[in-house]
Amino acid sequence: MMQIAFNSFLAALLMIPAITLLCRRDSRVRALPSWLLLLTLLAGTIVAGFSFWRGGRLALDLSWVTPFPFALTVDRLSAFFLLLICVVGAPVVLFSTAYVERHYSPTKADWLWVLLPLFLLSMVLVVIASTAFAFLFGWELMTLFSAALILIDGDSERRRHNIFIYLMMMHASAAAVIASFFLFLPNASTLDFTSMRAAVAAMPMGLRSAIFLMSFVGFGTKAGIVPFHLWLPKAHPIAPSPVSALMSAVMLKTAIYGFVRFTFDFLGGGPAWWGYLVLLAGAVTGLLGILYALTEHDMKRLLAYSSVENIGIIYLGLGAALVLMANNSPAWATAALVAALLHALNHSLFKSLLFLGAGAISEATHTVDIEFMGGLLKRMKITGIVFLIGCCSIIGLPLLNGFVSEWVILRAFIAGSELTSLSCAILLPLMAGVLALIGGIAVAVFAKLYGVAFLGRPRSLQAEEATEVATAMQVAMALLAASCVIIGILPGIVLNPLTALASDLMHTAALPEAALSIAHTLPWVAVCIAVLIIVIAGFRRITRITATWACGLPALNGRMQYSSAAFSKPLRTVFSRVYEADRTVDVHYAQQPYFAKSITYRSVRTTSFEKSLYRPAVDMIVSLATRLRKLQTGNMQVYLLYIFLALVALLLWMRFA
Amino acid sequence: MNLAINLIQALLLIAIAPLVSGVIARMKARIQNRHGASLWRPYADLLKLFRKQDLIPNTASVLFRFAPTILFAATAAAAAFVPMLHPAALFGVSGDIILLVYLLAIGRFFLMLGAMDGGSSFGGLGASREALVSALAEAPLLLALISVAILSHTVSLSGIVLTTVQQGPLHLSAVYAFALGALVLIAIAETGRIPVDNPSTHLELTMIHEAMVLEYSGPSLALIEWASAIKLTLIMAMLAGIFAPWGMATSASIAALLLAPLALIFKLTVLAVSIAVIESSIAKLRIYLIPDFLGMASALAILAVAFTALMR
Repeated sequence: MMQIAFNSFLAALLMIPAITLLCRRDSRVRALPSWLLLLTLLAGTIVAGFSFWRGGRLALDLSWVTPFPFALTVDRLSAFFLLLICVVGAPVVLFSTAYVERHYSPTKADWLWVLLPLFLLSMVLVVIASTAFAFLFGWELMTLFSAALILIDGDSERRRHNIFIYLMMMHASAAAVIASFFLFLPNASTLDFTSMRAAVAAMPMGLRSAIFLMSFVGFGTKAGIVPFHLWLPKAHPIAPSPVSALMSAVMLKTAIYGFVRFTFDFLGGGPAWWGYLVLLAGAVTGLLGILYALTEHDMKRLLAYSSVENIGIIYLGLGAALVLMANNSPAWATAALVAALLHALNHSLFKSLLFLGAGAISEATHTVDIEFMGGLLKRMKITGIVFLIGCCSIIGLPLLNGFVSEWVILRAFIAGSELTSLSCAILLPLMAGVLALIGGIAVAVFAKLYGVAFLGRPRSLQAEEATEVATAMQVAMALLAASCVIIGILPGIVLNPLTALASDLMHTAALPEAALSIAHTLPWVAVCIAVLIIVIAGFRRITRITATWACGLPALNGRMQYSSAAFSKPLRTVFSRVYEADRTVDVHYAQQPYFAKSITYRSVRTTSFEKSLYRPAVDMIVSLATRLRKLQTGNMQVYLLYIFLALVALLLWMRFA
Repeated sequence: MNLAINLIQALLLIAIAPLVSGVIARMKARIQNRHGASLWRPYADLLKLFRKQDLIPNTASVLFRFAPTILFAATAAAAAFVPMLHPAALFGVSGDIILLVYLLAIGRFFLMLGAMDGGSSFGGLGASREALVSALAEAPLLLALISVAILSHTVSLSGIVLTTVQQGPLHLSAVYAFALGALVLIAIAETGRIPVDNPSTHLELTMIHEAMVLEYSGPSLALIEWASAIKLTLIMAMLAGIFAPWGMATSASIAALLLAPLALIFKLTVLAVSIAVIESSIAKLRIYLIPDFLGMASALAILAVAFTALMR
């Protein structure tokens, strides 16, 4: 039964683009593909949920149609990520049904409805593939389809440059992923996942570490860990909002899936230094991600940097799991893996909510710059409230989902103090401080985002005239917000199957009782707070609406409020070493030295990575290419000579090798 | 029996919080050679505010009205975590230091948002500075609490207090010294006392908390003031519980139960006097020196955590 549903789910995803092309002429059925896609994703949710909660296994072998072995298997880990794709995909598609027709011409809308199901299918392929070929096929298509979806929003010079960077880095990442697959070849007879898993036992440690490093770099680039994050804030913000939501919420998670599959499933963990490397990457990524987010006032760029931060938190959990596993604490290692996976799910939920919210706001105000928003909560009540829930979840406030995963990660860090190795016992608890610092700055970032965009007075005419968006968009965001609240108050519903999944992966029996105790506390705290709020709100209050006191001036206006840049200034000053802003001030005087005719102020935040890491690499490649250009003379005889020399060389090689 | 004491001590904390503020104000007045207001004046203030009209700025949204309620509810829920009379609390077994720290963050976040909803410059100014202080204070607060949690092998606050109460004052680990140093500095920053913030100033150049609540009036202001008092008392009770829990009722005997409130009053008074002395003898720090202040707290907290491993 489930197998049939699974097969038809895949077939439907493949068919919808064709149906879109067939339906585009007739205005009566134009909406059909989008609703079909929505239904398909709901079916996918059920299939994935069945495998995730019940542990049922589904498989599909298509090797008879493809030149390479092409098999798909849904085990619990795949089911979890499949669930994540479908659960986030469905609201995003619902949102798009209303969003796309308002924003794009019919031709572009058709393109979007052709590419969107294919993009979803490619991500599904990645997480359910059980052969290297199927995985890499999906991996490559995922990059290409997302790049094509970005192009729907326009193809100015600047956007093409950003997409170029995106494609370049994705292919570098794909190269590393391919290499990590091929490194299995000396030991594995074929590159299907079962024989790869079996091959590891006979592998020397050096080879295992090489595979680990390759997958760390390959998947890390896709996930956006610092310093491979360069593409992320360039590519995510320029996509259409629903696509940004999918890229940030789901596509990054396929990289987490790949990394977990390689490191925990195939390699089965490794020496402690793997864990330290992942921890370090997580800490640096989390801190720099949130510090860069602090400076942004483009809402979508801010959210993209916050995705970098959350990937850092996930890596902190994965690193803790590896360190704990290497130090013979498998139970707590499992808890840390559970936390990392749960944070991946949580981040998908609240980040897609926030990106959809950004889409809704940009529809209402025609801008993504928060300095031109303000006062939106009064004008867009539902969007404002669900966006607030998203903000509260992402900074990890209790009773919302972000808190649960951060809590379990913190508990795993504290459990590190019981390890016998001195360095672990000091380092792991200190990582809790890093996580708390990231969380503290995140509070500042999202207070700024929400306060400047939704509260106070409108900062521009567009913001003043904003109105609530279409119902389908509100419902889509409300669904995601509701799931954040449900996981936040009753985390047991996902913690229990995740524990089963992680125990399978790590081959451990049970988790320490303390690791999941939060699930019993949270409902009571929720009841306690709810009762208090109801009691206080029940008191009758006499209210009077008046103008804010303006220090004796006639009235305040929107420009007198703290701006986004002003809000973040104190923290930016404290962390000024991170930003390395290039500032230039040009003052032109007319005649007198005191009265300036014009003052120009420019401040650019150079990311030191671009300057000191990427620039030299790019320069080297370009100079190498310039030197190689001498071979290309354009003279026919020279090319014939090359062919002749190549032939001779090959013959000699055949003779003597 | 235990449940009754737990409930009573949570309600007690909420009820006596204004009195603690009153005591501090009176001590400060005495040190500054003034007579000072009555100890009970904070209650009279709250009563007066609750009877007044609630003025809502015309630009403010629904969040402005609900922020004080959420702040109060979250802070009051946090009060149910703190052991005061005996080493257990309403959320004592299941509730832990992480949840406690994050519950306090709820109130802070909503107060910052409420401030920005007022639509004037002051709200943003206060929220921005509060963001600076709270962003840098969260890590040392959590690390210092973690260091004592590691020593007592539990993350529940009641468990930590129970471990300390079973040891003699002379057998405490040196980690407690570092943790105490860090927590005292953080307590000053978190509750907005001098030298980080001045609770009695209304000068734009220096105010943090006062700038955030500038647009609030009537019952909303009363809720905010009460919540701040609860937070102050909660942190004082937490310090007393972790570092000097002796005198708490470890058994259910009548004598122990009678002694516990007296011991609590003594400990809170000592802390109140020290706050009054500090506030009267030190000047407020310049805002950009606060990161240094919190950096010192972080260094102490890191040392505390490192020493838990080094000294075992």
